Amino acid sequence: MKDFKYIWIVGIVVTVLIVTIPVFLFIANPLQAGNDPWANMPEHPVHTDHSHLITGEYTTGQEVTARCLECHEDAAHQVSQTAHWTWLSDPVQIDRFDEPIQTGKANLINNFCIGIQSNWPGCTRCHAGYGWSDETFDFTNEANVDCLVCHDQSGTYVKSTAGNPADGVDLVSVAQSVGLPTRENCGGCHFNGGGGNAVKHGDMDESLYYPDENIDIHMGGYNFQCIDCHRTTDHAITGRSMSVSIENSNQVACTDCHSTDLHEDDRITAHLDTVACQTCHIPNGAVREATKMEWDWSTAGRDDIEEDPHVYLKIKGSFIYESNFVPTYDWFNGNVERYLYGDLIDPNGVTVLNAPLGGINDPNSLIWPFKIHRAQQPYDTVYDYLLQPKTVGEGGFWTEFDWDQALRLGSEVVNMDYSGQYGFATTDMYWNLSHMVAPKERALQCTDCHGESGRMDWRALGYYGDPMTWGGRTTPSVETAAANGQAND
Amino acid sequence: MNTRITRLFFLIGITALAGALVTAVFAQTQPEPAVRIETASPLHPTFALLDTDGINVLVSGQAISTMQTCGNCHDTTFIAEHSFHVDAGLTQMSAPGSVPGGRAWDTSAGYFGKWDPITYRYLSPEGDTLIDLTTAEWIQAFGWRHVGGGPEEYSREGTLLSDLPASVDDVETSIIDPETGLPIVWKWDESGVVEMNCFLCHTPNPNNEARVAALEAGAFGWANTATLLGTGIVEQVGDAWQYNAAAFDDAGNLLDSYINVQDPRTENCGACHGLTHTDNVTPLIFDPQDNQLWSTLTTGQVMSPQRLANSGLNLQDKDDLSRTWDVHTERALRCTNCHYALNNPVYYRPDETDTPEHLTFDPRRLDFGEYLFRPIHEFAKGQSTQSSLAPEYDNTLRRCESCHSIETTHDWLPYKERHTTALACETCHIPQLYAPALQSVDWTVLQSDGSPRREFRGTDPEQPDLITGYQPVLLPRPTSNNETALAPFNLVSAWYWVSGDPARPVPLRTLQSAWFSGDTYASEIMVAFDANQDGALDSAELLIDTPEKEAVIKARLAALGLENPRIVGETQPYSINHDVTYGEWATRDCDTCHSADSRVAQPLVLTSNLPGGISPTLIGNFPGETLMLEDGSVVFQPDHQEISLYVLGYDAVDLIDTLGALMFLGVLAGVVLHGGLRYFAARRRAPREVELKRVYMYTIYERQWHWLQTIVIFILLFTGLVIHKPDQFGLFSFPFVVEVHNLMAVILLVNAALAAFYHLASGEIRQFLPEPHGFFDQAFKQAIYYLRGIFRGEEHPYEKSRQRKMNPLQQITYLAILNILLPLQIITGALMWGAQRWPEISASLGGLPFLAPVHSLVAWTFAAFIVLHVYLTTTAGHTPVAGIQSMIMGWDDLEVHPHTPQPETE
Repeated sequence: MKDFKYIWIVGIVVTVLIVTIPVFLFIANPLQAGNDPWANMPEHPVHTDHSHLITGEYTTGQEVTARCLECHEDAAHQVSQTAHWTWLSDPVQIDRFDEPIQTGKANLINNFCIGIQSNWPGCTRCHAGYGWSDETFDFTNEANVDCLVCHDQSGTYVKSTAGNPADGVDLVSVAQSVGLPTRENCGGCHFNGGGGNAVKHGDMDESLYYPDENIDIHMGGYNFQCIDCHRTTDHAITGRSMSVSIENSNQVACTDCHSTDLHEDDRITAHLDTVACQTCHIPNGAVREATKMEWDWSTAGRDDIEEDPHVYLKIKGSFIYESNFVPTYDWFNGNVERYLYGDLIDPNGVTVLNAPLGGINDPNSLIWPFKIHRAQQPYDTVYDYLLQPKTVGEGGFWTEFDWDQALRLGSEVVNMDYSGQYGFATTDMYWNLSHMVAPKERALQCTDCHGESGRMDWRALGYYGDPMTWGGRTTPSVETAAANGQAND
Repeated sequence: MNTRITRLFFLIGITALAGALVTAVFAQTQPEPAVRIETASPLHPTFALLDTDGINVLVSGQAISTMQTCGNCHDTTFIAEHSFHVDAGLTQMSAPGSVPGGRAWDTSAGYFGKWDPITYRYLSPEGDTLIDLTTAEWIQAFGWRHVGGGPEEYSREGTLLSDLPASVDDVETSIIDPETGLPIVWKWDESGVVEMNCFLCHTPNPNNEARVAALEAGAFGWANTATLLGTGIVEQVGDAWQYNAAAFDDAGNLLDSYINVQDPRTENCGACHGLTHTDNVTPLIFDPQDNQLWSTLTTGQVMSPQRLANSGLNLQDKDDLSRTWDVHTERALRCTNCHYALNNPVYYRPDETDTPEHLTFDPRRLDFGEYLFRPIHEFAKGQSTQSSLAPEYDNTLRRCESCHSIETTHDWLPYKERHTTALACETCHIPQLYAPALQSVDWTVLQSDGSPRREFRGTDPEQPDLITGYQPVLLPRPTSNNETALAPFNLVSAWYWVSGDPARPVPLRTLQSAWFSGDTYASEIMVAFDANQDGALDSAELLIDTPEKEAVIKARLAALGLENPRIVGETQPYSINHDVTYGEWATRDCDTCHSADSRVAQPLVLTSNLPGGISPTLIGNFPGETLMLEDGSVVFQPDHQEISLYVLGYDAVDLIDTLGALMFLGVLAGVVLHGGLRYFAARRRAPREVELKRVYMYTIYERQWHWLQTIVIFILLFTGLVIHKPDQFGLFSFPFVVEVHNLMAVILLVNAALAAFYHLASGEIRQFLPEPHGFFDQAFKQAIYYLRGIFRGEEHPYEKSRQRKMNPLQQITYLAILNILLPLQIITGALMWGAQRWPEISASLGGLPFLAPVHSLVAWTFAAFIVLHVYLTTTAGHTPVAGIQSMIMGWDDLEVHPHTPQPETE
């Protein structure tokens, strides 16, 4: 060792180690990385420019699809397996049926335009396919898959009756423009659900095309596209709506990106066992554009009421629109009790078409914000069930203004008896709010729910009272009380 | 049969008609159907409203007596006697000038008798010839902020005011006639007195406006009844009051839906104490200059759960202000959660010093019934400099730490204990007030509307409508355990005229007479003040900034009969305890305090000018000084060193740094000079041929510990410098540097201990020990060599050898360093670190203010030594770098001098 030439190197190494190791061991790194939601963002490949690949003359949508399939061989088949094509869910086993059932826009009744059956040409404008004009539509014919509605980037693609391209659409330039779906593609249908901008959801409307961050922090603050959250593989897009989907599956969640321990404040973290993220972070629904809160079909067809798209239309009846509304809060475990054709109603009560399941005693339930859409819609006063009117097309209510005829025609199509006696019953639909997430600075605060002026109806939720002072859902007394039937659900 | 049926129908018809008529009449007279408010007590039974004689007011038509009505079940006499809100200083009134800590004219420590320059009016004591406020006029002017009872009911001697014999010479039975300026008799039997007003705090929406209007109108006896206006119980018809029979049942008791008796809510307290806003939906808007929002006016505190960004105020950088005004209001706390009735069984805290050690909780509590019968209305309170009433209840409220755990939440904070001892929680958790607050009140002048000139802090000087908020000044506040900690304050300064001996503030009436003639300024005043002669006095003119202006007012006051009118200035500190925030909004950057512009030493502007050139006297004993800046504005500069605080990174003893730097530079200069001389001397001299001998001088361990120590000392000096002057090294994170410094100190200590063990065990320690015999001769010889021989190329007087590596000078230097400097540095450093671990020991050795400068001085000495040490290594070997090389590789090439006597070796 005495003559080791590089002993000085050893010395330097030892000295540096003695000094630095304790620094790393004992001193916490001041730049400790927190939860990074960006790490969970899906990466989108750069889309190939298709303008030089598409050359032909196209007169029908199907021709374009055929061209697409030359390269994207599996695409149409993949689409044909999804709800965007079938308008039906995967089979779900529920208690009251022996066999699994499929539900979806294709076969359900709602309290907006009521149902697509007998009204296909009008409703299937938003079908990702071509030509669904009646019950004979062949869902196995993949040639009818509409690629353009989701992939058009020219902004000129418009769908018409039965989902066919509208007259005058330049299919070549549309096909050349294709790219990854943007908010415009999804919004074309989803922002206009219910027959117009902002009508249906209460958390999705055309203000999301060019939102500022106060409308939606993700889309406005960070320019998110829909598919950044609704992750898509092989054309299967995640996400579901409780209006048509009855089972808690294929759900998109805040926690796909955000950690559950990101709140610095323990008090807030403790709320996560009880409260959905949306409850605090979507303080109000329909932030900018007013959404339809009530729809009274019973006044439809009258000439003595002045028409105003937000108040009254002869073909549809009377409406109440509201913007920036305070949501209704209820327990929700993701599953839905769905009203199906033929289910009996209490015409004097309120029939909930898609009641959120869950309750204070269900540990999987969280308190969620909802838009509740209330309607007066036709029902059979003899059989006590809701009726399907034919509105669109020949003999439909929108042209004849004859309820009896419309209901008879509709009932024939859905294969239900119609007594000839109809009335109007009150129905509710629940729309859980998940979009239009506010910037965190605008999230709800304690006193928005708790204390004297809180917006929660604690007793209706099954609590003894404000859980701030009466105890939360895990307080034994509350559970016992609820189990004894004093609470709702 | 037919007629009977007809008659029956007729009867039924008549009855129905009459019923309808009665219903219709009732519907007309009946006000809005009362709604039982959810916050009201669900249990409160029905009761009758009684007058002072105990007769149902429905029968007597008299004003409601709260003492009788509530006193039916609650011991209202007990409550009134145990409430400083009611007493307001009445029972402690004394002669002017005898109130401890009070002004020469204060007569009590409470609202009734303690003069306040913001409200200015003075409650005249018995015997004064010049009267400002009599008791009756005090109620009219100040009753809006008093709950009734006490001085509004009883005389200073304790007699019911209405039982006093009427006398025009008694301030308690007279009032100044505004027409004549002369006293006239106040008829208490007509006005009635104001009983303790239970409704004001215990009903959800008390009609304070109607109450104050009744007080101002002198209808004292009806003030409490007026509080219920709007509830549907009572109505005002002209000047008269009428009870609404529909609100009562047949027995004369209130119907259940009209009974909204409740625990006081935040708004109830806010009516007198400041702005409260619990409605989170409506954007908060208020007038920051409103005298009625008392705490908001004096401090800028706002009790609201709303985020600042959502308020309706014009706040600077509003969009970024996502914090709420007050976190406790945000978390749905009410005032009474902290300021509770002392015997409230929910909050009651037994005296901890009386609690036996084996108990952490004593469950024995007052029965709720007992409590409701006699709730002590002395409310738990903190300790505010501005409120001197009821000091016996100071710090009775739950302080921050009785609800919050500092232990679990402040682990990120280095020196947690030290920080939490030196600083009140409020200091970091109320870093800024976001509403404007009063800065100064200048009563030496009157504006054209008769109000004083006022200045506010927290607004943009360029655009007064833009609210910037302000950072409070940090002053020491006694803590509940008899220590002092820095806490935030606003300082409100006031200037006003006093006259006479003993002094009295000039009564407002007299002041107005001096300034105005009719509705306009007196012409003499316009001549003196209106510099630009535009016929109006703007804010630059309306100011006593010249002796001439002062003389004019003085002369006019003297002409009104005032003796020796003169200007007095005072500064009142206002404690700030609300508007608390947390998380990222609390102060958590070390640089906030540990830097040259330390928050701890931040001055607070008192005023933009000094009326009459009078520097205001700070009320209370706070370290610091009042300074006038170049622009004429005056600031208060706090001095934290006076309370033995030493803020690393801000405080530095300049003398020490100067001495240290001089020493360092002196050594450096000496070394450069000596080295230069050596260089030139060597050039003139022919190189010497010497025989060299390779000696293994330093073992591997000796080299390792030496170089480890080198690098650690370098890091210590550097990090120490960063801590000492963080502003010069902005790149480095202060807490990181502090931790590295501490860690290096530990490594140094361990390394030194191991080396000491090695030297002792191996016997190498003797290298460091000078030989006592002939030491001085040897040292002298060595010194002479450095001063002379070295230039002549002489040989070292003491040759280096394996057995003797150091010359006598080295030995004595190292001995001093190892035995004096190093221990001193380690001990002072450890004690500075230990200021939080064993604060008593650190404090007993002078605390940080002593330890830190010593530590700095020794650090300078070390730095100087290093320069010298490195330089001297160049003298040790046959070439300048030989010494360093030998310390790296271990081998030294020693010159062989056969003729030199070698030091004896053992």
